[in-house]
Amino acid sequence: MATVKAASVVTRQVRPILSLTQEDSRRRVLALYKAWYRQIPHIVSEIDIPKNQKQCQEKLREEFLKHKDVKDIRVIDMLIIKGQMELKETVTKWKQVGHVMAYWKDTVNKKPTDFLGKFLDGKD
Amino acid sequence: MASNILRKLSCSLKNVGLSGSRVYQGLSVAPSVLSRCLSSEASAGAESRPTVRQHDAVAREQISDFGRYVAECLPKYVQKVQMTGTDELEVLIAPEGVVPVLTFLKDHHNAQFASLADIGGVDVPTRMYRFEVVYNLLSLRYNTRIRVKTYTDELTPIDSVNEVYKAANWYEREIWDMFGVFFADHPDLRRILTDYGFEGHPFRKDFPLSGYVEVRYDDAKKRVVVEPLELAQEFRRFELNSPWEQFPNFRDTSVIEDATTPAAEKK
Amino acid sequence: MASRILSQTSLKFLRNASKVSRQPAAPFSVGAVHSDKIDDELKKREAPLVPVDSMTQTHPHQSGVTISVTGVEDVGVISGVPEEHIKNRLVRICKPARNSMQSGSANTHHWEMEFESRERWENPLMGWSSTADPLSNLKVSFASEAEAIEFCEKNGWQWFIEVPKETKPKVKNYGVNFSWNKRTRVSTK
Repeated sequence: MATVKAASVVTRQVRPILSLTQEDSRRRVLALYKAWYRQIPHIVSEIDIPKNQKQCQEKLREEFLKHKDVKDIRVIDMLIIKGQMELKETVTKWKQVGHVMAYWKDTVNKKPTDFLGKFLDGKD
Repeated sequence: MASNILRKLSCSLKNVGLSGSRVYQGLSVAPSVLSRCLSSEASAGAESRPTVRQHDAVAREQISDFGRYVAECLPKYVQKVQMTGTDELEVLIAPEGVVPVLTFLKDHHNAQFASLADIGGVDVPTRMYRFEVVYNLLSLRYNTRIRVKTYTDELTPIDSVNEVYKAANWYEREIWDMFGVFFADHPDLRRILTDYGFEGHPFRKDFPLSGYVEVRYDDAKKRVVVEPLELAQEFRRFELNSPWEQFPNFRDTSVIEDATTPAAEKK
Repeated sequence: MASRILSQTSLKFLRNASKVSRQPAAPFSVGAVHSDKIDDELKKREAPLVPVDSMTQTHPHQSGVTISVTGVEDVGVISGVPEEHIKNRLVRICKPARNSMQSGSANTHHWEMEFESRERWENPLMGWSSTADPLSNLKVSFASEAEAIEFCEKNGWQWFIEVPKETKPKVKNYGVNFSWNKRTRVSTK
């Protein structure tokens, strides 16, 4: 058994999705972030979620920082597109409370990672 | 008046080969088309078994002629033209040629594939471009169908054909939702079948049958909650394939026939 | 009803036009607030209501433009697979084993990827085997191992490959034991 990470450094010419350069994609990310940020007051006021603006802003930041290491332009573009779709779904209230609250995952029990927690959980 | 137009039509059709003899039965049929019908029906060894599909040799010849014509007209985009075992024409094109090829098929006088019956997707992870996008077209004018196939991967956008066929709008949304193929210039690309907030593309081969999350109503929270999946009974995977090869004699044969070269040259 | 709509539109206009100083609005819970109080709150807010359609950025360039990409693009983050199932999973790439009950070898000539198995437990009520692993049933077939490896690389999964041992079929023949080169015959001289 050998765990390998093959490194291929072939450069290909591919069709872009939105952005042509890294700078371009960065600008789009910031634009999306700002769009979300500006919509947060309206989201909080119009959808009956038990969260305040600050918590929403923190969650927004967290969701964006989750992908901070993504470097490929087209992957960033795809994330932007999905983010825009999510934003539209949220702002137009196609999403209901449960859909919006799914970002917080507040009913999911964290699995224990330490030895004692696992032991008490009866697992591992 | 109408029959006059039809006569003109059928004359122009002779050049192309997509005359659709069934359309013209009972109408004024150009003589050459009729004679071809008669000769080939006499020569073809008629399939008498009731359970075996009957081939219409004339229709097959005509539709593959048309396929060849398309390949000659659009050499930049058409990569291959093939006939399936059930006499259907398939045109395999490069992804950048989706709009030109479909526009050609829709607007060409002797094709008139004015109706987009469906857009389908196929996921073959073993390929470099893992997704196939399949456009099924119908020509009501000539009672003929054609299938146009192209390919892409997770990140390469395909041009939307919404400007050519308005029906493509929802079909492309469906492909986007189920496979995650991005359609450039689509006016309203968003999910259509999955729930808001759903992550993933369920028709991909690497998407598990059970999905990744389960949804339930939480009494305490008074709302629907999304949680990671936990199966009380795990799905069982049954291996029902026989370890014996069923038709070794047909291992290397395919019902799909390359239609790029005409039948006369092959013989 | 009509007046409500009117007030809504004027509110939107307000939101668009207002250039008042930026002051962070106090966080509040909507459920408990009376409706006109919401309006008050919203008037305080400076964030403009941008039409959502204007936020969708369509691409401005024509087709034919290309960008150069080096290496494998990591599509794992956009595939919708939860992060936990990308980072913590190990993929086994192998050829499927022959059915041990029969000697036919069809369906064993391709490569498959499957995930390492995770904990299962017995369901306390029914005794079923339960699992929390959605990927336990997943198998994806490939024509060759290189394609499977490329697929895993693209999706960000750690992988290892199990190359099947090529075994030569043993000759099982009684007469071979007495072949001329076995030197089992003892000379009578």
